[in-house]
Amino acid sequence: MPSKEKEPIQLLQGTLDLIVLRTLSTMGPQHAYQIATRLQQISDSLLNLNQGTLYPALVRLEQYGWIKGTWGRTENNREARFYAVTKAGEKALGKETERWRKMAGLVERLLLEES
Amino acid sequence: MKYLRRLFLRISSLFTNEEIEAELDREIAAHLALLEEEFQSKGMSPREARVAARRAYGGVEQAKQLHRNERSYPVLAQALQDIRYTLRQLRKSPGFTLTAILMLGLGIGATTAIFSIVEGVLLRPLPFPDSGRLVTVGDVLEGSNCAFCRPTVTSQDIRNYMRDTHSFTHLGGYQTNSYELSGSDQPLPVHGSRMSGEVFSALQVTPLLGRVFTQQEDDQHQPFVVLSYSLWQSRFHGDAKVLGSKILLDRKPYIVIGVMPRDFEFPLIPGHVNQSELWVPMSPEPWEFQAGAAASWNLRMVGRLKPGVTPEQAQSDAQRVAVETMRNYPAYMSSLRIHAVVKQLQEDAVAQARPLVRTLFFAVIVVLLIACANQAGLLLVRSIRRRREIAVRLALGARTAALLRQAVIESMILSLGGGIVGLALAGIALHVGLNLLPQTLPRIREIGLDWPVAGFALGLVLLTGLFCGLAPAFVAIQTSVNETLKEGGRTGSSGSGHTRLRSILVVGEIAVALMLLTASGLLLRSFEKMRSVDMGFQPDHTLAASYTLPLRQYTTQALINTFNQRLLDNLRQLPGAKSVGITSVLPAGGDDLGISIIPEGYVSPKGAGLHMAALTMVGGDSFQALGIRLLRGRLFTEADRTDSPLVVIVNHKLAEHYWPGQDPIGKRLRRGMPETATPWLTVVGEVGDVKLGSADGRTAEQFYLPATQGVASEGVLASAGELMAYDGWIVLRASVPPEQMEDAMRAVVQKIDPQLAFYKMKTLDERVSDSEAPRRFNTVLISSFAIAAVLLGMLGIYSVIAFTVATREQEMAIRMALGCERSQILQLVLASGAKLAVVGCVLGLLGAVAASTLLRSFLFGVSPFDPAVFGISVAAMLLLSLMASLLPARRASLTDPMLAVRGE
Repeated sequence: MPSKEKEPIQLLQGTLDLIVLRTLSTMGPQHAYQIATRLQQISDSLLNLNQGTLYPALVRLEQYGWIKGTWGRTENNREARFYAVTKAGEKALGKETERWRKMAGLVERLLLEES
Repeated sequence: MKYLRRLFLRISSLFTNEEIEAELDREIAAHLALLEEEFQSKGMSPREARVAARRAYGGVEQAKQLHRNERSYPVLAQALQDIRYTLRQLRKSPGFTLTAILMLGLGIGATTAIFSIVEGVLLRPLPFPDSGRLVTVGDVLEGSNCAFCRPTVTSQDIRNYMRDTHSFTHLGGYQTNSYELSGSDQPLPVHGSRMSGEVFSALQVTPLLGRVFTQQEDDQHQPFVVLSYSLWQSRFHGDAKVLGSKILLDRKPYIVIGVMPRDFEFPLIPGHVNQSELWVPMSPEPWEFQAGAAASWNLRMVGRLKPGVTPEQAQSDAQRVAVETMRNYPAYMSSLRIHAVVKQLQEDAVAQARPLVRTLFFAVIVVLLIACANQAGLLLVRSIRRRREIAVRLALGARTAALLRQAVIESMILSLGGGIVGLALAGIALHVGLNLLPQTLPRIREIGLDWPVAGFALGLVLLTGLFCGLAPAFVAIQTSVNETLKEGGRTGSSGSGHTRLRSILVVGEIAVALMLLTASGLLLRSFEKMRSVDMGFQPDHTLAASYTLPLRQYTTQALINTFNQRLLDNLRQLPGAKSVGITSVLPAGGDDLGISIIPEGYVSPKGAGLHMAALTMVGGDSFQALGIRLLRGRLFTEADRTDSPLVVIVNHKLAEHYWPGQDPIGKRLRRGMPETATPWLTVVGEVGDVKLGSADGRTAEQFYLPATQGVASEGVLASAGELMAYDGWIVLRASVPPEQMEDAMRAVVQKIDPQLAFYKMKTLDERVSDSEAPRRFNTVLISSFAIAAVLLGMLGIYSVIAFTVATREQEMAIRMALGCERSQILQLVLASGAKLAVVGCVLGLLGAVAASTLLRSFLFGVSPFDPAVFGISVAAMLLLSLMASLLPARRASLTDPMLAVRGE
């Protein structure tokens, strides 16, 4: 349950893809649980999503050919599926980041002028 | 790019679903295990950790569903699942599946085969670029009462229309002809066409090899010839070196300049026997503009309209030229009036075939409808049997939409199977049947299974699938969970709504089957009537062959007469020959308009127009050889020479028309129009009417002239140095089977002129049979459709009664336990079958009456309401329906009464 002072925010369409891609790119190969934990950390629990909701984003990115999942073992020798960014994924991350910045800058400017 | 990749993966994941699901399960399990471990390390008990992990993860099923939606197309995935389910179901009842697929296969196959004819003959644009702009140009002769013939032109018309019209980018004339092709090989009779150079320009077809001739070359009388692909292949072995080589046509040298592509066909004439195999320039001779030839409408014209010009505008343009042409008519034909007619080439080519093809298509659609009705009935039975299953599924929360979808999918799968079987059947039928098509159909070479036809078959599959799927869908919607489940073990009477629907289907089938049955009966009667028509000649023991003497070699009348005389003399001496003659027109060989005559003393009622009669030139004993009866007077003799008094023999119909109730012997008639200076010909004999076309065709007014007096009878119509009797049919009546005379006949002509060949040698019996072919074709086809329809109708009635009996087994057992006789049970069931049959027959009779207008044009000598045909059809239908219900009735009457006690 989200706490009262921290109203959770709804994710914009496509942002989850960028976040997951960015996370994997900086942190190296991760499994779904690690990604979910990382999301929670950096968002300061603002993004309190069920960990299962991550799966559609993962399958979508995998189908784009941007990430690739392989079975491996965790430090505690438990099996998990690790996702790593592919070459195409790195390229896409660059493009998507740029697009996001442009978009965010635009919205920001707009909001400034309006106020 | 990424979307393409994803699209592919999403679709392919439809088919690797199970592996992906397993993988997903494994991943989720691993994820939960990690979460549990995490929570346990925070000090939770294993149980608490498991609950907390679940909570943190969220709904496992929801996550899976999200995953499924994302990785694939949910609707498709669902459909695929339904298809798998249906296939499993169908595999469980192979009998039903096979029956359904075969039945639909037959229906779709027959319809597809007939549609390929409709498509090839009627619908497909002509194989010329922008063929909608191609038109025929021709004259209709005022007063010739020629509703059935295509507009034709004279040589003068071709010259005038080409020079003076402004509506065409290209316009030219053409005429079909036969040629003796010789040169390198054995002489070969071939069909060909003379064409203006402009015709090739109008058609805009590029030759496969070489080039075509131009209008300029045509005007310069260049001896060029363009070959058809098939002639090039068969005669010249597909050798490209044929270009520039010399061939002889009627012993005149021509240079081969081109070969047309394989699918080039022009003129577009019915059948595939008389197709043109080569094309030479029209290059008209001076005599074709003079005397009788100037009044001979035996050529045709084709042109391409200028952009923006409508056929109507072109017609008024041509009419303006026609008026000018009439103004310049020579005195001897000044009373002739022509009207220019411009119409689409496509229309001109297919108009005559349209009613036949349409009727066939209508009939085959009816068969398909019956097959669909049967299929719907079968599926309905199946759903009724599965009513409990449906009810259970509804009770467990299945939505009606899902059940409907499944019903339609099942029906679609069966239709698809039927479609595949049908396409294969249609392919076989076309392969075997193309040669059986009547020679009255144009564009036969274009009939085949192609994409439009396959598309049509696919459309049929979708339509039948949807239509047949409606029946089980109806059950699905109507199923009331409570009622069905309450009915419990007792499979008592099934819902009355379903029974009614099935009855309606069967009544419809019987009605439609009866319609086809009466149609087939009427056509069979027509055929029988046609066979019993007196053709006016005796086709048995008679052999006929045509020949044309090459005028390049036979330059004088004396040479021609010598040849004819030698031919007759030599043939007469053959052992087995009874009588031999030469005739310009062969009975049962083809009818045409004839020529204009003036009977002496006959005042035509106002507006009767021209007096047209068919002219036959005869030599030798052709009346005896053909077996034409002499009614009055005498036949021609050796004494009727060129310089003796001019004589004529008329047929009964002509005599009755102009001299009704009088003895025609001694009356006179002459050729031409009132203003034409022609000599009177004295009637010396009257003979019986002869059918020139088919037995069910019209009877023409005819007159016969001795070939020796042909030129003399023409008067002013004869051109200078005109030659006569250089072509015709040799007719030989034998005392032995005529086939045995063929070689002897060929040997005789070879002896007189080693290069000359006989064309079209056939017995008259074969010719008569050929002339019956179109009627035989539609009679056989409609009858086989009728048989199929009746069989399907019987199957329908059988399955309805059998099913009803099966569901009423208990009721029957109770009746018998209460003392009902077995014969009474039999009657009860038979009566229920008879009721359906009677209602179906009444509706069918109404339908047959309604369809009579469609059929009328195909009947001959039979009223479309022929009581005998209607009576027999109804009786047969009722009897067959009773037979179909007899089997289930017997089974019902053998029900064991103990069933009533035992229950299920």
